[in-house]
Amino acid sequence: MRRYVARRVAALAATLLFVSALVFVVVRVLPGDPAAIIMGTEGSPEALARLRESLGLNRPLPVQYAEWVGGALRGDLGRSIQYDVPVGSLIVSRLPVTLPLALLAAVFMAAAALPLGIYAATHHRRAGDYLAMVVSQVGISVPQFWSGLLLILLFSVHLGWVSAGGFEGWASGPGPALRSLLLPAVALGLFQAAVLVRATRSAVLDVLREDYVRTARAKGLSERRVVGVHTVRNALIPVVTVAGLQLGQLMAGAIVLESVFALPGLGRLALGAISARDLPVVQGVTLFVASSIVLINFAVDLLYVVLDPRIRLD
Amino acid sequence: MMARLLVLMLSAALALTGFAAEAPAQTPARLIVQSQTEPPGLDMTATPATATSGIVFYNVQESLVKVDRHGKLVGSLAERWHTADNKNYTFFLKKGVRFHNGREMKAADVKYCFERALNPETKHPYAKDYEAIGDIIVKDEYTITFALKTVNANFLQNVARAGAAIYPRETVETMKSHPVGTGPFRFEEWVRGDRVVLVKNGDYHVKGLPRLDRVTFRFVTDPNAVLAALKAGDVDASLFGLGPEHVQDLQKDPRFQVITGDTTNDVILAMNNSRKPYGDVRVRRAVTYGVNKADVLKGAMFGMGKILGTNVDPLNPYYIDLSRAMGYDPVKAKQLLAEAGYPNGFDTVLKVSPQYDYTVRSGQVVADNLKKIGVNVKIEQIEWGQWIARVFREADYDLTIIGHAEAWDIKNYANPKYYFRYDSARFQALFAKSEITVDDHARRAVYADMQKLLVEEAPVDWLFMHPRLAVAKKGLQGLWKDLPASANDLSEVSWAPAK
Repeated sequence: MRRYVARRVAALAATLLFVSALVFVVVRVLPGDPAAIIMGTEGSPEALARLRESLGLNRPLPVQYAEWVGGALRGDLGRSIQYDVPVGSLIVSRLPVTLPLALLAAVFMAAAALPLGIYAATHHRRAGDYLAMVVSQVGISVPQFWSGLLLILLFSVHLGWVSAGGFEGWASGPGPALRSLLLPAVALGLFQAAVLVRATRSAVLDVLREDYVRTARAKGLSERRVVGVHTVRNALIPVVTVAGLQLGQLMAGAIVLESVFALPGLGRLALGAISARDLPVVQGVTLFVASSIVLINFAVDLLYVVLDPRIRLD
Repeated sequence: MMARLLVLMLSAALALTGFAAEAPAQTPARLIVQSQTEPPGLDMTATPATATSGIVFYNVQESLVKVDRHGKLVGSLAERWHTADNKNYTFFLKKGVRFHNGREMKAADVKYCFERALNPETKHPYAKDYEAIGDIIVKDEYTITFALKTVNANFLQNVARAGAAIYPRETVETMKSHPVGTGPFRFEEWVRGDRVVLVKNGDYHVKGLPRLDRVTFRFVTDPNAVLAALKAGDVDASLFGLGPEHVQDLQKDPRFQVITGDTTNDVILAMNNSRKPYGDVRVRRAVTYGVNKADVLKGAMFGMGKILGTNVDPLNPYYIDLSRAMGYDPVKAKQLLAEAGYPNGFDTVLKVSPQYDYTVRSGQVVADNLKKIGVNVKIEQIEWGQWIARVFREADYDLTIIGHAEAWDIKNYANPKYYFRYDSARFQALFAKSEITVDDHARRAVYADMQKLLVEEAPVDWLFMHPRLAVAKKGLQGLWKDLPASANDLSEVSWAPAK
């Protein structure tokens, strides 16, 4: 186990180094530098040159990269060009929006997908199964920004139950904050739930065809026990794998939905930073998201051992 | 079924968390304004972004002279001014004006701000506007004289610009995130990514103003989200950034008032004068004749806005209406192309950025129009950062469409390095003359000549003036109808008393 963890940590470091170098190069290869965007269609070329110099953009790329990586290792991700605050604190300030959003979406995803997937598998080729598959197909096909807008139309414009967007913050209690996050979480979780329904259904179907399930049924166990105790747990490994990957996708989906719902989260921070070529923020957020995804995958691997004691990570 | 299930689940969740449908609490003295773009910092001496001046200028920081809602220059921090020779301008400051940090604003502060603008170290985006200043003399605490090196007819205009705002020197270091000024509102907080909040300055130097206690600028970028926020009552007004397609819908809604007015934003079809075939004036004139501006206005702006003939917009006092000087005439356009050696037209690329929707929509109409005269336009959509770098900074383009929001920007046509690459000795001479002609009558004549010459040489095709499209809840009063300056003065805005 210890060797396994050491190997994973080394892989994590290598991944992050690779991601950091990739992002660093990509955002600099893009035409348009932050100084030019700050100046827009106004400001003289001299003012632009002075601004570029003060932002340190005229130094050689390897020097800039080395400085940035050095800083990141000490926990300093640099300073945002647009906001003039440390990137680290900017990311931290967005977590109270994005983390609960992703978490709520994940809860919604699991709560909707697991029962529906199991139901579809146990009612294989019956009306309920077909209905579940049609519903999940619709869920996969509808783009998130569109389902987000439909939810806004229904619940805030027509019914007036929740606000159409924005985030009040947690200072005034969990009520208003949750109210701001509920619709985007549903919109975000909807697509992933649709994917997970299919994964759950096929995993449960596979297990239901196993010999030991037949044996369990032959022993006269109730169908509830057969599915609940003997099938689901064994079907969970592929489901957890898919769900783990989806958690990462939830972070990516947040970029679109945070714009639709005007939420000040990590996704919108990244989007704004890319448009403004706020390079330190783009790099910082990407690094943060990449680390989170690697860590989630790590956690999923550990979960395999819990789910199936036969698995040895070494 | 899924939808019903969803409604049920959400309803249950709402009931569980105790979210009753509250009546929207509308405190009359609070205003929530939607803003499309988050500013890249709040220091107007560090960025020319209109997103910055749209919040800070006139509301938090003010200048000696200001452009009022009718486009007229009036005193602001200066009560009045005087010049005998158009080279020495003396400003008499209002007494008792206090910065938000409590200190009184005096002539030494004005001197400091202008000297700082002129100092290359400070990276002021408009340093060039103040180059004419030779000396700044503080006569007494409330009197200051600017001695110009040369006559500069635009001097007062430049003193009224966002870059000439007056601020206390002790706050310079923090202005980017916490601007301090003399304006009707004090800066309270900037929640990055979400909002900027301003609160009433109880000590404002204009009695009875401001009328609002609190103004929140909320950043909502997605136009559909803006519409939803307005309809759900989350924001009270959208002062810029609303698409014309939404305006029509809101005009029918009895809860809202739609304000349409003029702006200084001229939308142009720029041609790269340094590239073949646009170096030939006949081709540029052919393109101008070949574009039906009425169609463009209809297609891009649902007919809202005004057709332009030159760079000078209707809010400019020297505006002359030349919008019909080169009206749509495809026959003439074809004839000009043939004369220029392109009887069968040519292929060209139009670069536009979807950051500004109206440029893409205008481009589609332009391409369709030009096809009829044999010019095949390929539309290439590029991201805003790329547009700035490639088109604007490097002039790597054939055609492009963009709005120029800055007032009094005819100077760009006298700059051969500007991205149009328009290099006309005749125009440059006229512009130089306009800069030193201070007599209003004579200057008006020079401006008329400049406009006529621009029509003749057609360096770009001026399509239309982008209208001001603002939407506010009924009952909000005092908003500016037109936008002669890139600012959103909210000092006189208030809610009508409830009936």
